[in-house]
Amino acid sequence: MRDYWLSKLFFDLQSSPPLGAEYRADRNKILDRYPLKPEVRKAVERDDVVFLASRVNPYLLRFYFVVAGMPEKEFLKKVRNAGAESAARSSHG
Amino acid sequence: MARLVGVFASSHAPLIVRGWKDVSAANRDSLSRSMTELGSRIKAAKPDVLIEIAPDHWVNFFINNLPSICVGMGEEHDGPAEPWMKECPYKKIKGHPRLAHHVVETALERDFEPSMSHHLTLDHGFCIPLWKGGLDPLPPIVPIIFNDLEPPYPTVRRCLQWGAMLAEAVRTYPEDIRVAILATGGLSHSIGEPTMGEIDEPFDRECIRHFENGDERRLVDFLNERLPTIGNGAAEIRNWVAAHGAADRRGFELIGYCNCPEVYVGCGFASWNLGARA
Repeated sequence: MRDYWLSKLFFDLQSSPPLGAEYRADRNKILDRYPLKPEVRKAVERDDVVFLASRVNPYLLRFYFVVAGMPEKEFLKKVRNAGAESAARSSHG
Repeated sequence: MARLVGVFASSHAPLIVRGWKDVSAANRDSLSRSMTELGSRIKAAKPDVLIEIAPDHWVNFFINNLPSICVGMGEEHDGPAEPWMKECPYKKIKGHPRLAHHVVETALERDFEPSMSHHLTLDHGFCIPLWKGGLDPLPPIVPIIFNDLEPPYPTVRRCLQWGAMLAEAVRTYPEDIRVAILATGGLSHSIGEPTMGEIDEPFDRECIRHFENGDERRLVDFLNERLPTIGNGAAEIRNWVAAHGAADRRGFELIGYCNCPEVYVGCGFASWNLGARA
């Protein structure tokens, strides 16, 4: 399943370096422009890789965290844990 | 009539550019040797036009309009937009509208319905193999984008048929020109998934063996079975399959393979000997 507006946010950010810079300076200003569901916006604000990974294309996820400024090692750690965490979350309903 | 003078395939890992300094000396040597050799073979084929098959990494298309296959028909295309590709010499890339038009007409005659674009941005997937292969100046390019990024993808069988159709389009193109085909992407890699960074060398080696053997059914069965079980980046092997179809499923020669964890990709480079018989 793809979340359209979350995907659009990630797509726009990786398509426009000036928008990426603006986002790094003030996330809320950019997030206000997208009709994100409350739980999706919260996941973006928390850098919740597991939640976001289940809703966007993996390449867009990867590009987004490059633009957002997350260090590569941190992203790798989080995304590699995503499989196990996702399984754990679904097994707990 | 036009002639198909070469068919080639290459990986296009972004970190070959963006993270080159972090690649080990041995892997740098291996990758450089393969990319240089591939470029030399393309140059030796002296193509007047290069048909290039690559994915779109969310540069031209988004999920509001996502073609399975798109042919670039324009007189000119833009070079890569990625900020880390700024040193790439290709800012504007000449197209070949007449051949592109003939490819689309041939496709429609053969019951394929490709999308069309009269102006594309050719991202790193198109440009890294050309740049690092030393192709400067470039011949005119007819870019063809396969959706290898967002499932559901074109089937492996359909990609093989696309390649055969492309070869027919070249053979029936009325101008006396030399045409080569370059497919880019793969081999095994995983991007933005829990398996990110994992390279499945046994899969890559087996895949290469299937290309070498030339048995169409075994190749298709192998990829249908295995592609869903490994990293998403391997979906780009569909482009190699199209090249294989264009080469009439024979003559595959591995130029080089490098299991390169620093760039997250099992990197492969190949050409097809068009005079060979399986």
